[in-house]
Amino acid sequence: MHIPDGYLSPQTCAVLYGAALPFWATATRRVKRVVKNRYVPLLALGAAYCFLVMMFNVPIPDGTTAHAVGGVLVAVLLGPWAAVVAVSIALLIQALFFGDGGVLAYGANCFNMAIVMPFVGYAVYVAFARRTSLTAPRRTLAAGLGAYIGINAAALCAAIEFGLQPELFYKTDAGGHHVPLYAPFHLAQTVPAMLGAHLLVAGVVELALTAGVIAYLQRANVPVLRVNHAAVPETQLDMPAPRKLGLRGIFVGLGAMVLLVPLGLLATGTAFGEDGPGALDLKKYGLSAVPIGLAKYSNWWAHTLLPGYGYDRGGHPTIGYYVSAVAGTLLIAGVIAGAYFAVRVTRRRHARTALDAGTVK
Amino acid sequence: VSVPATRRTAPDWLLEPEVGLCPCGCIGRRKKTNFVTKTLNGASSVMRQALFSDDIAAQQGLLQAIDPRVKLLTMVGLLVVAATVRSTALLGAMYVGTLLLAAASRLSLRFFVKRVWLFIPIFTGIVVLPATLNVITPGEVVIPFGTWFGHELGVTKQGLEAAGLIVARVAVSISLVVLLTLTTPWNRLLSSLRALRVPKVFVLVLGMAYRYVFHLLSAVTDMYTARQARMIGKDTDVASGRGVVAASAGALFGKAHALSEEVYMAMVARGYTGNPRVLRPSRLRWLDGAWVLTCVAVAALVLGLNHAIA
Repeated sequence: MHIPDGYLSPQTCAVLYGAALPFWATATRRVKRVVKNRYVPLLALGAAYCFLVMMFNVPIPDGTTAHAVGGVLVAVLLGPWAAVVAVSIALLIQALFFGDGGVLAYGANCFNMAIVMPFVGYAVYVAFARRTSLTAPRRTLAAGLGAYIGINAAALCAAIEFGLQPELFYKTDAGGHHVPLYAPFHLAQTVPAMLGAHLLVAGVVELALTAGVIAYLQRANVPVLRVNHAAVPETQLDMPAPRKLGLRGIFVGLGAMVLLVPLGLLATGTAFGEDGPGALDLKKYGLSAVPIGLAKYSNWWAHTLLPGYGYDRGGHPTIGYYVSAVAGTLLIAGVIAGAYFAVRVTRRRHARTALDAGTVK
Repeated sequence: VSVPATRRTAPDWLLEPEVGLCPCGCIGRRKKTNFVTKTLNGASSVMRQALFSDDIAAQQGLLQAIDPRVKLLTMVGLLVVAATVRSTALLGAMYVGTLLLAAASRLSLRFFVKRVWLFIPIFTGIVVLPATLNVITPGEVVIPFGTWFGHELGVTKQGLEAAGLIVARVAVSISLVVLLTLTTPWNRLLSSLRALRVPKVFVLVLGMAYRYVFHLLSAVTDMYTARQARMIGKDTDVASGRGVVAASAGALFGKAHALSEEVYMAMVARGYTGNPRVLRPSRLRWLDGAWVLTCVAVAALVLGLNHAIA
């Protein structure tokens, strides 16, 4: 995925340098503020480590090997901001000293592999590893999954960068034909090609290496995992009890959804099949008339209180819509509350009879 | 190899290709090497490149004599020029220019051409082959392949021109970067990054990272050599191989972490207070001025011709 110079136009390179710049600035500032001096050598070693991870050949079936990028691995071990610095420096060493990846394309490579990859991967990791101990198997899986999704996100970015080149940068020759100036493939080719390779091979390699390293450290070197997980308990037994989702959360969520109801008024057109059979495009389905059964049963139940969510009443359709929304919400809430109390009452009665019978002590 | 044996720091055995390891199979039969051997080969190749470029940077040549800051800025400028040129002929002329610079900097041309073309420009050439077809780059078909599901299929003039452009551009760009890195000692190249306004902390971390790449590399080489010494027969089990790679990468992180603690203590012991200092920049000389003027003139000429052709 290391893009060499010459594949991307200078304009694209400039834009991606611009996109990477705020991340570098923030990362450097955070490193200075949060981590102080001790982390200068840690970051340096992290960058050197990152460079070497890209050199590890991972065996894959068919006797061949592939190598990983390690962006998400470093993000899990040192945190995403440290990963931005470490991967950027590893990429700079590769570009400047070993000719792997371009100098003008350095911004693009950093954007894909040092920014998108660690942040996307780390977000997936955090989401899946929530409320697990440091040595939980789910944490290993979360790191692997983060690596898989992270590298595919990076590959998608690279594919979009490549695919935009022939659309934006070309010259027109004497015959009026376009000659692409940089990478000549279009989005329709770059996206399937890059994602195919990364979903099937590179992503799996990244997953295997990342999950493997985390599993190894969980077995052999837990203190090292503490660098980025200072507050996470080591075993599942030390975990605090899971917080119960209170009624308040439920009411806040439902209230937000009720407030979002007017969004329905913005939508134009009809949902598929909702306003049949009158709105049915018969020609599209090769029909000459509305099927008898559909015509008969579509209006079978017409005795509703607010037909068409109050929209069909004319007069004040918007107010009718709101009334429908409130009435519907209250009705559903009432049904659920009724079911809840019914269950509670039966349960209590059941418990009391069991206590009387002496089956529960 | 252009560096005389007496002035080399890279030992002979490191520079000579190993018998039977040539990937093209010119010596003996080609074997599929396993992941351990591949990683070891990769490690020694990194060592070889680094030691060898330090040797070349110590030679007396044109580019070696130019201030690293000036060299870095002019090379980036020339890279931008190469990126904006729209004609294959002009890119070809620029490539000839890089060959002349290599010769003036006492680089062996055979080595320089091999280093540049293997393997990215050749890889690029193979990858862009399908793009010469009219289904991807429409235009005048010059090599028809007949019809495919009722559609005409063939290589277009425009596709060939686009492929030529990208391969030439990649070759010129890599040549420029290789010229810069081969003729500049790495520590001076690092300190010249300050001229591009790269933050001090970044340059410090970069310098330390470059130093410890080689330290950790020898740790990897030790681990893998030890494993190879204990193995007999073919090592083909993919799952256990992945386990080994993950465990060695994990162990390497443990080593790196422990080392970073030691390095920190050593830094504090030697008076590090959080304010990194970089090498004092050297004074610019008349040669640097002449070089900048030449580069500006070349850039103006190339861009002018590029405009005239368009």
